Amino acid sequence: MIFGLTFPETAVIGLLFAAIQFGAMIYLASLGEMIAERAGVLNLGVEGMMAMGAVGGFVFAIETGSPWLGLLAAAVIGAAVAMVHGLFAVALGANQVVSGLALTIFGVGLANFWGTDYEGVRPEVQFADVDWGPLSDISWIGRILFQQSPLAYSAVLLGFVTWFVLNRTRGGLALRAAGESAATADAAGHSVLGLRLFAVAIGGAFAGIGGAYLSLSISPGWTVGVVAGRGWIAVALVIFGAWKVRRVALGAFLFGLAMALPNRTESFDLPWDPILWSMLPYILTIAVMIAGALVLRNRPPAAPAALGLPFRREER
Amino acid sequence: MIRPVLVRREAPVRGGQPLAFAVGLSVALLLGAVLLLVAGDSPIEVYRRMLSASFGDLEAFSVTLNRAIPLALAGLAVAIAATMGLWNIGAEGQILFGATTAAGIAQAGEGWSGPVLILAMIVGGSIGGALWALGPAAAKAYIGVNEIITTLMLNEIAIRLIRYLINGPWKDPEGYGFVQAPALPEQSFLPNLFQRTHVGLLIAIAVLAVVGLMVSRSSWGYELRVAGSSGATATYAGISLKRKILTVLVLSGAVAGLAGGIELTGNATRLTETVSNGYGFAGIIVAALALMRPSGVAAVAVLFGAVQVGGQSIKAIGVSDAVSTVLQALILFGVIAAGVLIVYRIEMTEPKVRST
Repeated sequence: MIFGLTFPETAVIGLLFAAIQFGAMIYLASLGEMIAERAGVLNLGVEGMMAMGAVGGFVFAIETGSPWLGLLAAAVIGAAVAMVHGLFAVALGANQVVSGLALTIFGVGLANFWGTDYEGVRPEVQFADVDWGPLSDISWIGRILFQQSPLAYSAVLLGFVTWFVLNRTRGGLALRAAGESAATADAAGHSVLGLRLFAVAIGGAFAGIGGAYLSLSISPGWTVGVVAGRGWIAVALVIFGAWKVRRVALGAFLFGLAMALPNRTESFDLPWDPILWSMLPYILTIAVMIAGALVLRNRPPAAPAALGLPFRREER
Repeated sequence: MIRPVLVRREAPVRGGQPLAFAVGLSVALLLGAVLLLVAGDSPIEVYRRMLSASFGDLEAFSVTLNRAIPLALAGLAVAIAATMGLWNIGAEGQILFGATTAAGIAQAGEGWSGPVLILAMIVGGSIGGALWALGPAAAKAYIGVNEIITTLMLNEIAIRLIRYLINGPWKDPEGYGFVQAPALPEQSFLPNLFQRTHVGLLIAIAVLAVVGLMVSRSSWGYELRVAGSSGATATYAGISLKRKILTVLVLSGAVAGLAGGIELTGNATRLTETVSNGYGFAGIIVAALALMRPSGVAAVAVLFGAVQVGGQSIKAIGVSDAVSTVLQALILFGVIAAGVLIVYRIEMTEPKVRST
């Protein structure tokens, strides 16, 4: 007992397992948003792209019988939906906030429309947890780290790849240049439009995978409202993570914990109604934003300098 | 390689925004038709039903107007904030908390006379909405916290607050085990103006007019627009940005909360977590289509009311009402594209070697 709270072993293991599960899901969506924002494009459509990934991934998995094909479809669908934002906010230079919000409404609406016939369909196809042999048998750590869905390991891998590409390759440098100073990137011979469209598409694919994580692994199946505002948490996480992979990863685990706890209040004997606990991730987001603003008050902003600014060569 | 490039027109196309609106709406309906065809529904049948359910006769139109009330207020809430370059994405939550406040007042004032109770609920809704926006407003004004995220998170919190109240403290003792809030007292129902349009229409028109004039004609509104276009200019002119941000966002929340109060007395029989019905989000589209001008909000709200009422009507022929949500987003996309093409034209050019 610590502070009058009990910590039963199985409950703690279950909590940490779920924290990594939820954390990896939100990490994927945040990484995608971070890539788009590093290229200078704010995409507030994450919630919509995740919803489309969730329903698309589930439908394709059921119809093809393979969760991997479902996942692939979710990535492609996420990227395709993101290109709507690419067309309006990047190619046509429309206001990125308006276009992104419209994308969320569009994506959530389309997902609900598409999912009508799949609501309540038994999730016969879903990802099985990976068995790492002896590693998975280690007490505590084995259950928490080495019995996760393949998607959790993919998230970790994609995090490393994203970090490497952004920081250690010429393409990544060009992409970041498009987000810091589009005119400079253009003068250096890069296609700002191409770089930004690419970043938005990748962001959409990551969000789609995050959505499929929900519908094929965490809570298999499709129900209206399954994304439940987590796309927005992903957007907040990028700000919290100061547009850096490592800090986004840390934040993802923290929010994973906050998302996992509300379902487990009974096993920890926590006071108050579980419904009140379900506000935790959202309250935490606000708290973290406020704390971040207070801490970073006198420091230069971490956001990419050209974030949210459309680029038209004629108007340089 | 020949590529399409956007080139600024010498002069914008005549007809401007109304033209963009018409083109965007047509394109949206066309894309919606494609979607319906793919899903195996008849677009003609669906659109015909939607039209007759929303504009078919006076009764249909009165239902449309009924819907347009919260949409116009939510749109106005978003537009006020946008005048200053702020994004209130939390109208949904402010509507919910406004309705919650109104429901609380209805419980306390069960014995009051109708007009007193209704007035208290509507004013209370507005105060509730203002309170729900106060946190993000203060955080934005004094420490620069991104208001998009904070207002949004409060939407999720508002839904869960109502869920908690309905499951616990406010659970209907006469609900026979059903999890629901107690029924509102009968004298709390807003009277109808004509057919199925309630008196809230007059309130909405009055608020739109007053706030519209405040923004476009008063010195307060002028300062607001100056601050919206350039914070530095505003500060130089002696306008306190912090105070402006605070008052604008709180006013925006009050207008959205008003919609919540009106919805509760006008259309609901008890508080539910779906009382806001997506009006807060649709309000963003309404405001964007009205180019963030309070004057345009009313017209767009009626159109969107029609799309939503139409969307409800097609459930009868087995088509998901999510179609109407998709249509609303498509209309916005269509109008954005048309709006860009009014100022720019697309030219197919071969990339030139740049001289610089």
